[in-house]
Amino acid sequence: MALTSQLRAALVHIHAGSSAAGLRSASSSSPQQQNPALIESTEEFVFVERLIAPSRIPDPPKHAGPAPSGWTPPAETPPPLPYMIRRSRMHNIPVYTDLTHGNRKMTLVRKVEGDIWALEKDVKQFLQELTGKDMPTQVNEVTMTLKIKGHFDQELKSWLSSKGF
Amino acid sequence: SNVCVTEKFIEMFRFSVAVFGRGVAKRFSSSFPAEGALPPNLQLPANLVDPSRLKRPPPPADCPLPLLRRCEAVVPAHLSPMQTWVESLQMEDGEPLGRAELHPDVFGVSPRIDILHDVEKWQRNYKRISYAHTKVRSEVRGGGKKPWRQKGSGRARHGSIRSPLWRGGGVSHGPRGPTSYYYMLPMKVRVQGLKVALSFKMAQDYLHVVDSLHIPTPDSQYLLDLIRRRHWGESVLIVDVAEEFPENILQAASDLKKVNLIPAIGLNVHSMLKHEAVVLTLETLKFLEDKLLWHDQRYTPLYPFKLPYRDFP
Repeated sequence: MALTSQLRAALVHIHAGSSAAGLRSASSSSPQQQNPALIESTEEFVFVERLIAPSRIPDPPKHAGPAPSGWTPPAETPPPLPYMIRRSRMHNIPVYTDLTHGNRKMTLVRKVEGDIWALEKDVKQFLQELTGKDMPTQVNEVTMTLKIKGHFDQELKSWLSSKGF
Repeated sequence: SNVCVTEKFIEMFRFSVAVFGRGVAKRFSSSFPAEGALPPNLQLPANLVDPSRLKRPPPPADCPLPLLRRCEAVVPAHLSPMQTWVESLQMEDGEPLGRAELHPDVFGVSPRIDILHDVEKWQRNYKRISYAHTKVRSEVRGGGKKPWRQKGSGRARHGSIRSPLWRGGGVSHGPRGPTSYYYMLPMKVRVQGLKVALSFKMAQDYLHVVDSLHIPTPDSQYLLDLIRRRHWGESVLIVDVAEEFPENILQAASDLKKVNLIPAIGLNVHSMLKHEAVVLTLETLKFLEDKLLWHDQRYTPLYPFKLPYRDFP
């Protein structure tokens, strides 16, 4: 990669030749005359490369069922529903809560693909069974998001993960 | 041109027939034709061109031509890659050489014209510095002395000859330039704008994939004939990854106003909207997919991306 070649050229690690006396007097002449056994080596650059930050989020390790933290991986094949909800870049379910004006509670479902109205129907039915009330929802077809009045993030997350999203 | 005018006329007429036919159908069902049908006394010119029948349809599933390029990046399980023809520029009227796969997260995203509008507006305005500047009453030369006494002269009371009420006076609320209109849209919005523009070009059949940009002659007329023969459109934007283009195509496009070459790092929404057709090479496809898909799975920057990272695309 261009990165490693540039940095290797800039940071060449020089081995001091292994001589018996490691100390040199201040009045000594240039190192080449003192110590002809100077070896340039770039093998140790691996230790520098390991410290450079990665830029991509890695895939989570394979878990059979839920992880000890409670995180569930998505299903191997997408569920046979008319809509699809992708995971966020940190591999979580994209359901978020919002609180505006100090008292307006909303739940937002993002990253919906496919038939968003079918998802809205299923969400309304699920919340009807959960609360017994008809929760107002707002579908935004341009951004493909679904807003629900009230905080239902934990229930919706567990419901969506049980579906296999 | 005549062709475009008549096409638009036909479309307008079809639209009006559909609209009016529906509303008045109950009362005058016998006199109005069926929805979408043209009236019998319409005279069409002989050389009328129907754009929907010109372009080649997308490759069918059982196409015998080889798949010249597969998607390297992982395609999500619920989506499948899209396919287009891969053509060659060597002959004016050549058949396609093969097919190429395109990643759906770059070339098949949802059609967000609001994002396109935002990115286009940003591209126009972030470089803008307006140099308009007017002088305020304190900056106009003169006007320190009270012109006449406050009372008794019979004229209106004034404090200076350069107040905004006076001719030659300062402007009270004029432009105080230079003003900068610089702002930055979030990186992900700009990236999504590129993806949306590419998806629009793909959906409207204006995206063409070419194996390489080698042409036999440095003649501009060859390019024009090729574009006219293949019905690519009025204006064509040719994109390649390499900084250096082949000599022939450089020379051919240098005289043409409507055919332009850009490197892949220079691809932007404004150019894609300005030109009707966009031509990409196979290496450009790989480059664009690498760069644009990285944004979907990257961390938020710990330090600016200009500094080295381990796996920067």
